[in-house]
Amino acid sequence: MKLYVYIIRRILLLIPVIIGVTVLTFFLSHANLTLLIDGYLGRIRTPAHIAIVKAELHLNMPVYAQYFYYLGNLFTGNWGYLAPTELFDAGTPVFVEFERRFPPTMELALLATALVLVMGLPLGVFSAVKKDRLTDQATRVLAMVGVSIPVFWLGILILIYFGPNSVLPFQLRLLGSGQIPPSYYYVPGTSILEPWVNTKVSGLTQPTGFLLIDTLYYGDVSAFLAGLYTLFWPALTVALTSFALVTRFLRSSMLEVMGQDYVRTARSKGVPEHFVIHKHVRRNALGATTTVMGLFFATLLSGVVVTETVFGWPGMGRWLFSAAIGGDMVSIMATTFIFTIIIVVANLIVDIIYSFLDPRVRLE
Amino acid sequence: MTQSVESSLGRILRARFDSFKKTFYFFTRSPIATIGLGVVIFYILVAIFGPVVLGGNPWKTTQILQFHGVYIYNVPQPPSIYFPFGTTFEGYNLFNGVVKAARIDVGVAAAVVLSGALIGTILGSIAGYKGGVVGEVIMRLTDIFLSIPFLVLAIAFLVILGRNLTIMVVALAIIWWPTYTRIVRGQVLSVRELKYVEASVAAGSSSIRTVMKHIIPNSIYPIFVQVSLDFGNVILTIAALFYLGVGFAGYYTPEWGNLIGLATDLGGGIPAVTQYWWTVTIPGLAILILVVSLNLLGDGLRDVTDPRLRR
Repeated sequence: MKLYVYIIRRILLLIPVIIGVTVLTFFLSHANLTLLIDGYLGRIRTPAHIAIVKAELHLNMPVYAQYFYYLGNLFTGNWGYLAPTELFDAGTPVFVEFERRFPPTMELALLATALVLVMGLPLGVFSAVKKDRLTDQATRVLAMVGVSIPVFWLGILILIYFGPNSVLPFQLRLLGSGQIPPSYYYVPGTSILEPWVNTKVSGLTQPTGFLLIDTLYYGDVSAFLAGLYTLFWPALTVALTSFALVTRFLRSSMLEVMGQDYVRTARSKGVPEHFVIHKHVRRNALGATTTVMGLFFATLLSGVVVTETVFGWPGMGRWLFSAAIGGDMVSIMATTFIFTIIIVVANLIVDIIYSFLDPRVRLE
Repeated sequence: MTQSVESSLGRILRARFDSFKKTFYFFTRSPIATIGLGVVIFYILVAIFGPVVLGGNPWKTTQILQFHGVYIYNVPQPPSIYFPFGTTFEGYNLFNGVVKAARIDVGVAAAVVLSGALIGTILGSIAGYKGGVVGEVIMRLTDIFLSIPFLVLAIAFLVILGRNLTIMVVALAIIWWPTYTRIVRGQVLSVRELKYVEASVAAGSSSIRTVMKHIIPNSIYPIFVQVSLDFGNVILTIAALFYLGVGFAGYYTPEWGNLIGLATDLGGGIPAVTQYWWTVTIPGLAILILVVSLNLLGDGLRDVTDPRLRR
């Protein structure tokens, strides 16, 4: 099978999954009609207004017709309006809010993934090569604590032990000293947001919405560094709690590959050890590791939701949190759908990269 | 006649018991796994007897307004002889809360994991043994559920269907069954091809009897391992849900995540609780110790039940 045929086939296989997901989100978003209608009406809930909203949302139609209207709205970007909770401007289109919230979440998730790759992959290789030695045992303990620690608690510990008022010595207050917040962007752990650009007053626009890219776009290096430092702590929190899956799986599949005949052959014909490890073993072991990537992304994004709330990062996780507290159902369903699409697309990308690296999977 | 049946039953039971004793012997050879088992048993005992010994309302942390005549409502007291874990904001006794929380956390997690494992085992054996269209549909369903981040789906369920104990258990069980379905299906697919299954089918045993008597008992160990590993994940998810404020039974529910959220909420943000470090550190440690022990237990079980490692 050619690579592009494989990619097309893989994308076609996603269609049933996406349909299934939309059925689930449709069911959830129509399971509690009172909450849905209240979200549109706010405090004034006269029967006449309820009837208007019901007609507008096609709630008087049969279920299958409602589902098709739901699908139509989903794919045309008509995702409804924010409910009048205390935290949002009521009536903002959900899609506009999504465009504002999506880049920060992706920024955090990508940085966390990068940290996992930088930290988790070498640790996995080391602990397989030095099996049962100190590195392996230390990695094992770190991975064990990493999977066992509550994400929000780790975030809080980082903030209170390395933060401005820490009980630890002065040198360990990595997150700024005194009362000065560590960045221009937000005050950690509170709901105070200090946007790096105040678009309304200064007239500046955020071309991409990604903090790190926008700061470089305007050539503000100090703001870029401050933003990177700000983003580093939540990303580290997420990475520490999700790297274990990759590391442990890579270790066991490396050990399995190291027992294969072709590795013994390579060694016996005098191939240097680092060459054996990096060319023969690691490439084959990485293939098996891609099978746990789906679970990894689910863990990572669940971690991102909680971490954004703890660190006050203005992404989709924080949006979901505020919506959950305020009972804003439209936002909850929108974030659920977006998070699912992120995972599905991430899995697709991993599969395509894997099939590019290892042509054998295309033969199935 | 009856005697021979009894003796054959006794023989089977004795064989099972011997095999269990052997497994347990191998398990206790690993000190770390034994420590894990001990800590988990300790937590379960606390969950059962803790609220009984402490008394009071098991759904609410005890509040202490005055201590030695001093009003301690908004000044958390550090850990001392009187308050082993200190008190948190509004005078809630942390020791009381942490002990009562064990029942809620362990209970909900047990309900979720066991029902998830049961549903997963049934659907997985259908998918593996019958295969065909039904099996394909079940496996595509697991694909769908596995591609939604579990925390997000749990939040959606709880907010939309109502925040109570039943909905939380049902929502988390809905999230947790696909893993078991996949494991059981894989096991069934490999066990199905073995000679004794073939022999039982040839001898005329029905599908249900074959599955119940031969296939499930011989593919059950990976489920045990997964249950002990998942138990910790469910507890982490419950704690995260409570921390985010989508728990049940009210604002002051004694639950480890809720106690942490209570401290940061009432204290006025995370930087504000820095001086009162015990209010967030101690409930979190309770979660960490239990989940680490569960993972050690699961690792130990996996090492014991994997014959390749036993040799």
